[in-house]
Amino acid sequence: MKAACPETHPHILLAEDDSDLRELLDFALTQAGFLVSCCDNGLQLLEMLEQNSTYDLVVSDLRMPALTGLEVLESQYDNRQRPPFICMTAFGDQQTHDMARRFGVAATIDKPFDLDEMIKLVQTTCRRQPNHDLPVRNCP
Amino acid sequence: MRLTLKITLAVLLGIALIFSIYSYLSIQREREQLKKNLSREARQLGESLRVMVTEIWQQRGEKEAIGFLSRANKIHSKIMVRWVWIEKDAPEKYKPRVPLDQLDDLLNEETVALLAGSKQGHDFLLTYLPLLIDGNRIGAIELTESMDEMHDYVKESLRRSAIVVGTMVVSSLLFVGVLGSFWINRPMRRLRDQAERIGTGDFSAGLNLSGSDELADLANTIDRMRSQLAEARKAEQAANLEKFEALEELRHTERLATLGKLSAGMAHELGTPLNVISGRAKLIGSARLSAADVCRSAKIIGEQVDRMTAIMRQLLSFARRGEARKQRVELNALLQGVLPLLEPSAREQQVELLQGEVGPPLPVNADPGQLQQVLLNLALNGIQAMPDGGRIELCCAAVADVKPPETVSLNPAGWCCLQVRDQGNGIVAEHLKHIFDPFFTTKDVGQGTGLGLSIAYGIIEEHGGWIDVDSTPGQGSCFTVYLPLADSGEIT
Repeated sequence: MKAACPETHPHILLAEDDSDLRELLDFALTQAGFLVSCCDNGLQLLEMLEQNSTYDLVVSDLRMPALTGLEVLESQYDNRQRPPFICMTAFGDQQTHDMARRFGVAATIDKPFDLDEMIKLVQTTCRRQPNHDLPVRNCP
Repeated sequence: MRLTLKITLAVLLGIALIFSIYSYLSIQREREQLKKNLSREARQLGESLRVMVTEIWQQRGEKEAIGFLSRANKIHSKIMVRWVWIEKDAPEKYKPRVPLDQLDDLLNEETVALLAGSKQGHDFLLTYLPLLIDGNRIGAIELTESMDEMHDYVKESLRRSAIVVGTMVVSSLLFVGVLGSFWINRPMRRLRDQAERIGTGDFSAGLNLSGSDELADLANTIDRMRSQLAEARKAEQAANLEKFEALEELRHTERLATLGKLSAGMAHELGTPLNVISGRAKLIGSARLSAADVCRSAKIIGEQVDRMTAIMRQLLSFARRGEARKQRVELNALLQGVLPLLEPSAREQQVELLQGEVGPPLPVNADPGQLQQVLLNLALNGIQAMPDGGRIELCCAAVADVKPPETVSLNPAGWCCLQVRDQGNGIVAEHLKHIFDPFFTTKDVGQGTGLGLSIAYGIIEEHGGWIDVDSTPGQGSCFTVYLPLADSGEIT
């Protein structure tokens, strides 16, 4: 699901292997005014990141087939141009949290999370980015 | 009874022998006495006759004297009297009944008494009293007495002795039989029965033999032994029960440890559907959804709840401590049931979980919960051995040609196996021989109890099987659980 106005709406790359959660996040983020691109495994995420450097934010699950979110993060560690990452991790997995932070993740969020909280976190993270205004809910 | 009979016969034989010897000696003595008496009588008669014959011979001559003897012979019915000449050429009528060489003493004018037998088999006592005639011829009065009477007497004595011995034997047999049965057979039978009862493991009944003889002593000893055995068995049973309970407890603990490992994966699994549910609920609550989206969200919520329920059910079914009971278990089905439990843990470690080809049904008599635990334990070990991901394959198959280790005593119709093959670190040779030892672990402190494989081995041993392991360090390990196939018609 893609929003129509990439200039005004931050572009989010969503990586999640569970189709139901992916669909939900896609729907909610789009509703919240973001432009959302989706993929369902780590390898695809990496490919999409390499093909297109215009993403404003990556929301990624850490545990995914092919390549894990951590592995993608690690491979992008030296890339100055990489967008900020928000990682979704399993509840209580402190070790993964710590590792993700070491790889320079912008934020981590435990599953199950509150949808509003997630949107808020996405908005906050995007706001820290110099190139973008606050996302608006409706595309003009 | 045989012992009593033997003792009785031995005693009776002794008594009969002694009595027979005694009877024989008595009869011999009586016979000698009888013979002496007979001889004395004959001698006395002969002496009287000799005096008379001498007188008649001197007064009236030879013919009268011999005639006198003939008359005297007719008077004595039992003793035959006749005149004999102790000369070689004596006329046949006056020849003694025995050869002359046996009568040498007569030449010295001594009386001769001897026994002689007739051709008909009768015995006679012959007494010769010498008589010097005309100073140079020697004649003798021959007295012949039949010994038949004495023989009859001896025979009668023998018969009586035999009757006494026979009666004694028969009555003793009866008497000893009754007493032996009462004193020996009955208590012996009770002792034997008691020994047999103890032999079969029945220590319930005591044995009370009255009296103070050896058998009563033996009975008391057996009874003491019975009490000691009963106590020992009771103690052993208590120890076994304790051991069994401890083992059960240990297995349960290990089961919980396995459950803990599984739960970590399951918790991860629950996070996603919970997320979807809460998100969808929120969307519905925001009232910004179209009617179709609301319906769709509700449907998704329902699906996510089903997904969570399935996860919970799998966990609970494993966690529930079921009664250890063997039943008919199909290995393909068991394997299928274990896979969903392992999936989250495998996915977490980037491990690909594969199931081997599903073959024909493999029925075994087993406790499904315990087999599940063994399989989970082996598979989780395999998953843990692949920190960088890999592939783990679970399969089961019938085994045609396998040689059980010596410790396996079963000889079933066939064997089947469950196999867990990983691509993990493998096990080094020096660890390989210890992996089934309790508390042996190569994991970090707090990561493993070191009991999982030991318990798995115990479980499989209880099922009449064994676990084989084949491992190459750096390439992976393959654990094979061998189990006896259940007979096709067997129902337990």
